[in-house]
Amino acid sequence: MAEKANEAAGGVESRWYRTLGSRIWYFLNSLKLTLFILIGLAVTSIFGTVVEQNQSIEKYIEAYGEQWTSFIYYARLQDMYHAWWFLALLAMLAVNIVVCTFERFPPKWKSLLNHRNDKFDPRLIDKFSHHETVRLNESADTVRAKLEGVLKKRRYGVDSSGSGKEFHLYAWKGRIGRLGSDFTHISLLVILMGAIIGSYYGYKDFTGIIEGKSITVPQADFKLRLDKFWIEYYDTGQVKQYNSVLTVVEDGKDVFQKQIWVNEPLYYKGIRFYQSSYGQAWNKVEEAEIALKLKAKDSLEESFRVKWDSVEKVPGSKYSVKLVGFTGDFAYDEATNTVFSKSPEPNNPAINIEIYDGDKLVSTPWLFMKYPGIFPAIPDSDVDMVYIGHKGLWYSGISINKDPGTNVVWVGTSIMGFGFILAFFVYHRRIWVYIKEEGGSTEVKIGGTINKNQLVFERDIKELTDSITSDSASRGR
Amino acid sequence: MILSLVFFTFSFIFYILTTAAYAGYWAFKKKWLGQTATAMAFVALGSTTMILISRAGESGHAPFSNLWESMVLFIWATNAGYLLMEYRHKFKAIGTVVMAIETLSMLSASLLPYRFKSVEPLNPALQNKWKWMMDILSTWGLEKYAIGWLDFHVFTTFIGYAGFAIAFGLSLLFLWKFRAETRNVTNRFVEAFPDSKVLDEMSYRAIAWGFPFLAVGIVSGAVWANYAWGQYWAWDPKETWSLITWFIYAAYLHARVTRGWRGKRAAYLSIIGFAAVIFLYWGVSFILPGLHAYA
Ligand code: HEM
Repeated sequence: MAEKANEAAGGVESRWYRTLGSRIWYFLNSLKLTLFILIGLAVTSIFGTVVEQNQSIEKYIEAYGEQWTSFIYYARLQDMYHAWWFLALLAMLAVNIVVCTFERFPPKWKSLLNHRNDKFDPRLIDKFSHHETVRLNESADTVRAKLEGVLKKRRYGVDSSGSGKEFHLYAWKGRIGRLGSDFTHISLLVILMGAIIGSYYGYKDFTGIIEGKSITVPQADFKLRLDKFWIEYYDTGQVKQYNSVLTVVEDGKDVFQKQIWVNEPLYYKGIRFYQSSYGQAWNKVEEAEIALKLKAKDSLEESFRVKWDSVEKVPGSKYSVKLVGFTGDFAYDEATNTVFSKSPEPNNPAINIEIYDGDKLVSTPWLFMKYPGIFPAIPDSDVDMVYIGHKGLWYSGISINKDPGTNVVWVGTSIMGFGFILAFFVYHRRIWVYIKEEGGSTEVKIGGTINKNQLVFERDIKELTDSITSDSASRGR
Repeated sequence: MILSLVFFTFSFIFYILTTAAYAGYWAFKKKWLGQTATAMAFVALGSTTMILISRAGESGHAPFSNLWESMVLFIWATNAGYLLMEYRHKFKAIGTVVMAIETLSMLSASLLPYRFKSVEPLNPALQNKWKWMMDILSTWGLEKYAIGWLDFHVFTTFIGYAGFAIAFGLSLLFLWKFRAETRNVTNRFVEAFPDSKVLDEMSYRAIAWGFPFLAVGIVSGAVWANYAWGQYWAWDPKETWSLITWFIYAAYLHARVTRGWRGKRAAYLSIIGFAAVIFLYWGVSFILPGLHAYA
């Protein structure tokens, strides 16, 4: 008794556990769930197109008011396609596909392979929605041979059995079409996987490169050098195109060179480089123009040019000058005692020079283009330096993009294309024929099924029937 | 005078006349009327083709770059799809509905403000052509007519739209015929159309064409975006709506194949799907913000 009770208890327990498991499995295996997910994805996606994505909170408040904005943030509608619940729907789609394929594919595959062994009862032919019965004045064997010929010509596989006055024919075509939906579903999984790979291992970056300079590319074993940057104009003065010539440098050697422009990126080792902007460097110039000022006369001597990082003798004086720094929008941080550029715009250009008397460094002043003479260049001297202008350096703005998932996505879409061709344009047709000769005439029953496109099949069966009746006098129904 | 607009006017008149001819066939069931209607639909197709060709000549690029041109493409694809269907299934009365859709589309295209119609040079960011095609065409000095991913994207998308438009027309017909059948109404107007079962099946076939073509359209758009911006999917409203539409039709296919939804429920789903197509095509362009200038 006790044993039995135990067993019963154990039974209940395992039943509880199994029931839950099988319920979950049943739920995930359900095609109602598929419809629910598809419609769910369609409907929820609408929100993301109505609420503009990834804007600042002020914008939402302005557009929707505080209460709605807090709802938007609560439901994560401001970045909906990355919200947990949206990703959960996608994950559910994937799980649903996996479970359904797991359940349905093996039996389908088996029945497709073993289809010839299906037992068939001739009386069932009349139950098909597409069927015909005809009576002919020919021998059973002649009819069989004729039908087999016609079916083979139409590229059906044909099995025939029977002999003498009674034959069975079974013909099939387009079995592989049944696998179209499976290819489609697997392709969806592949595409999702590609998207996941991309979001984990990919990155987006931006960098400005000055002509002749190289940058190290993140997560890659090569460098990129800008050889040339230029802008093409139409005759009207409108910009026609921005161009950069880029060289890939690997282990110190130039391995690949390409001219890129907007919409024509450079692609190397899984990383793409796009022409995305351009501008003037804010921390460097090609050369600066400086003039000596005699304090006594309050007038400028003839100006001279000094190249970046090089020394120039100042005409008409004992000094020489070296250009060591530039900033487009001068700012000074007192806490760290450093100079920086407030913005990339040339709002307040300043240069930093070193002034030498012979070999002796006498001062390293900042000179301001807009405020000449606010700080004396050389303390206690009868001359000053005035920063008149500069020749800027252009940089080419390059977007760097790596998405190792992209190729996976393309593989997925190719599989999907293949799946679509199978699913929509290859139909699985099966035809059964029963031929029986009796009292000088032969009765032929033809019937069959198609997995889709019934309209085509109706005609198929008609044509097949016509092919054996056309040259035979009597035809009855 | 711009040649493409001449062909447009001619086509517009012809679509009205073709609709009338099909309606005449529907009402009177005269064989000669049916043959005339089909012949006229072919003329309309030829004339629509000429709009596109002359437009390409005028603008120097594939004629799919503004709303008006895309409407012409839609009309062209729907007409071609319909004629193919008529050839295969031999039901002519359906032409009344399809040609009415064509006429309405013509009307809405002609009502577009001028800025959606004018011949424009391509904005540099949209210029992209297949190199292999330029190489082939350069033999005859025609390389400027080479197409690229963007043109391919628009073209396949619109074949998809055409399939859905035809399915929509068939679904409306189905609902009407089905109602007549269940109420035992018979008159020659109802009789002229095939059985509701056949209409239902044909509507499914039209969607079975539209669905993969929309898919190819979405994917080629992604290929282009990846090429131009390094990102194949950005959840831009147009992209998202194309996905929404695609999911609705995927739901239609699944409901049909796996849950046996036929007839009325399938027809309603097909109508909802087409409403999404219209929003995808016009609504998104005018109401929602995004990258796609049109289409
Ligand atoms: C939630 C996951 C999904 C499940 C469980 C699922 C399940 C199924 C099943 C059981 C079939 C019928 C199989 C057959 O006839 O051989 C089918 C057909 C199909 N599915 Fe899915 N499906 C899912 C998602 C999708 C999605 C998202 C798409 C594409 C957008 C898709 C595209 C197709 C196609 C094209 C067919 C063939 C339809 C036809 O023959 O008319 N499936 N699906």
